[in-house]
Amino acid sequence: MKLKKALVLAAIVSMLATAASPAASAATPYEAYTYNYYEDSVPLPAPYVPEKAISGQSLGVGSFNQPNDLFVTEDGFIYILDSGNARIIALDNEWRVIRTIESFDIDGTENKFANPSGIFVSDKKEIYVADTDKGRVVVLTNEGELIRVVNNPQSEILPQGFKFVPLKVTVDKAGRIFVVARGMYEGIMQFDEKGRFLGYVGTIKVSTNPADRLWRTLATDAQKAQMQLFIPTEFASVDIDSKGFVYATTVDINSTETIKRLNPSGQDVLKRFGYYPPRGDIRYRRLGNNSGPSKLVDIKVLGDGMYVALDSLRARLFTYNDEGELLYAFGGRGTQLGVFNTPVAVERAGDKLVVLDRGKNNIVVFKPTQFGKLVTEATIEHYNGNTDRSVDIWRDVLRLNSNFDIAYLGIGRSLLMEKKNKEAMAYFKLGMHRKYYSTAFKRYRREVMQEQFGNFMTTLMVLIAAFVAYRIARKVRVRRSDRREA
Amino acid sequence: MKRDFVKFPLHVIFHPFDGFWDMKYERKGKVRVVLTILALLILTLILQKQFSGFLVNFYDPRDLNSLNDIIYTLLPFFLFCVANWSITTLMEGEGKFKEIVMATGYALLPLILLNLPMTFISRIMVSEETAFYYMMNSFAGIWFIYLLFVGIMTVHQYTASKTVITMILTVIAMGIFVFLGTLAISLGAQIWYFIYDIYRELIFRT
Repeated sequence: MKLKKALVLAAIVSMLATAASPAASAATPYEAYTYNYYEDSVPLPAPYVPEKAISGQSLGVGSFNQPNDLFVTEDGFIYILDSGNARIIALDNEWRVIRTIESFDIDGTENKFANPSGIFVSDKKEIYVADTDKGRVVVLTNEGELIRVVNNPQSEILPQGFKFVPLKVTVDKAGRIFVVARGMYEGIMQFDEKGRFLGYVGTIKVSTNPADRLWRTLATDAQKAQMQLFIPTEFASVDIDSKGFVYATTVDINSTETIKRLNPSGQDVLKRFGYYPPRGDIRYRRLGNNSGPSKLVDIKVLGDGMYVALDSLRARLFTYNDEGELLYAFGGRGTQLGVFNTPVAVERAGDKLVVLDRGKNNIVVFKPTQFGKLVTEATIEHYNGNTDRSVDIWRDVLRLNSNFDIAYLGIGRSLLMEKKNKEAMAYFKLGMHRKYYSTAFKRYRREVMQEQFGNFMTTLMVLIAAFVAYRIARKVRVRRSDRREA
Repeated sequence: MKRDFVKFPLHVIFHPFDGFWDMKYERKGKVRVVLTILALLILTLILQKQFSGFLVNFYDPRDLNSLNDIIYTLLPFFLFCVANWSITTLMEGEGKFKEIVMATGYALLPLILLNLPMTFISRIMVSEETAFYYMMNSFAGIWFIYLLFVGIMTVHQYTASKTVITMILTVIAMGIFVFLGTLAISLGAQIWYFIYDIYRELIFRT
């Protein structure tokens, strides 16, 4: 009878729970999540909600046709590379069309783009376009006048019959151009400000597994010729941060280092201090629909150490902090506002995120929620060393979501800096970070030992004295009884 | 009481050849001591999973289950004893089943004596010192293997090489037992569901 009652109660509670949950998640067509220490995905409150979708019609320039890239400058001006229509649409920070660039003059003759796939706008408002099918990078002024064309790179290190097929382009403050080109397994191509080829940066290591190596050693020469070569994978996208470090993604199913941060000499210096390296989804199906690791096709540096990577396979956005810890992931496939068909590019406009969807021929603008804003603020404060301020914000974050491990770690790190070791230990334990916990515990233990050293030594001395006294007393008693017997 | 539960087990683990000899021929070993050791070993495992320091405790608290700890301690123990007994009766071993159980049980003692205190010591360790914890754990394991080896050798009056061979065969036999066990259980379940289905069919027909 009791059991029956309990079952009925459980049924009612579960019904209430299912009735209540849609109201909470109705705002977004996706569920945001992050991964915890046990590599389970933990639901989060949505960090961003879709605000609006912008299409060619709504801008009044005719619908987009297979747009491949977009770029948003620091002051919020937006440049859309409408590849199918071979044009650039420039917008101001209020989403009003300033101009469309359909053609430009080379030596007095009109010239058009052919299936361009990458765009970058420098601080000086110079537009760099990777004009893929014509094998060139076109540099234009903001008004659409030609400055320079970068094509036919000449170098001894380039292979014979090399064909330059630029896909993505980015430029640093000094005007050096970084180009991701198709079929360039050696790395990202680097050009100087005059357009001369300098060399490669960020060569990807060839990855082989032992089984392949074994087969290769066993195979005959004829079989070896049939086998495919061990070639490294290509880069998929590039971006540059304010310090001149190049962020790049690769699409490589065998690698866990699909996001790279290259220093000026071309080495990967990305911090991977999270529970797992930044590479999109950690848990995914191995076989069947929607299977395989994330395919990161675009990356955008958000500033203050944060960056966001776009997974085109499951159409999700992954935001990481400077330590390589996943802050949140969200997005998905679908037809509603806020989910994508074929997302190809992600950009930041102020505190909003802008995603270009090639399949839907539109742009979706995401605005941060209270939760998203707090996480960003706290990360920025922590990155800039304002630990006490970041603690307060992290506590607010925890009030909204007490399952957010990074908030615990953030508070713990700040407490550690303030030498509040015991509290820091508790937070590191909640955040499951053994390395930091050990540091805090080491300091705490030393503190306790220094404090208790006096008491400890007193007890020890008293015990020794008592032991000595006992031995003497026993000896005296033995001697006395000896004397009595004698 | 003190001699059975404290002095003799300690004598066995520190002087295994002498100790196991006494256990077999002087009848100093007691089955109730073995049962106590097993109970303590289970307790050690549970405490280790629950209370060892954060830096060395990699168990997911959601997966902790003391019933599993009991089953996964007792099952391999008796499986080993039965497998070893089955092999050694065929290979001219002199040991009785009771003696095999006692030798195996007394050999488990170092695992308790070292791991139980280390569980609590690990709580005051920092990560550089955890190597010491792992060293003690592996030392306990090696000590256990050594005692098991000597115990089986003495109980059956084998040479060292023959003991090694019987040990390997015992492990293989354990595998066979597990295989047969799963086979029997799955076949039994099939028969049970067959009968149960017929029963349900009859119930719904009438």
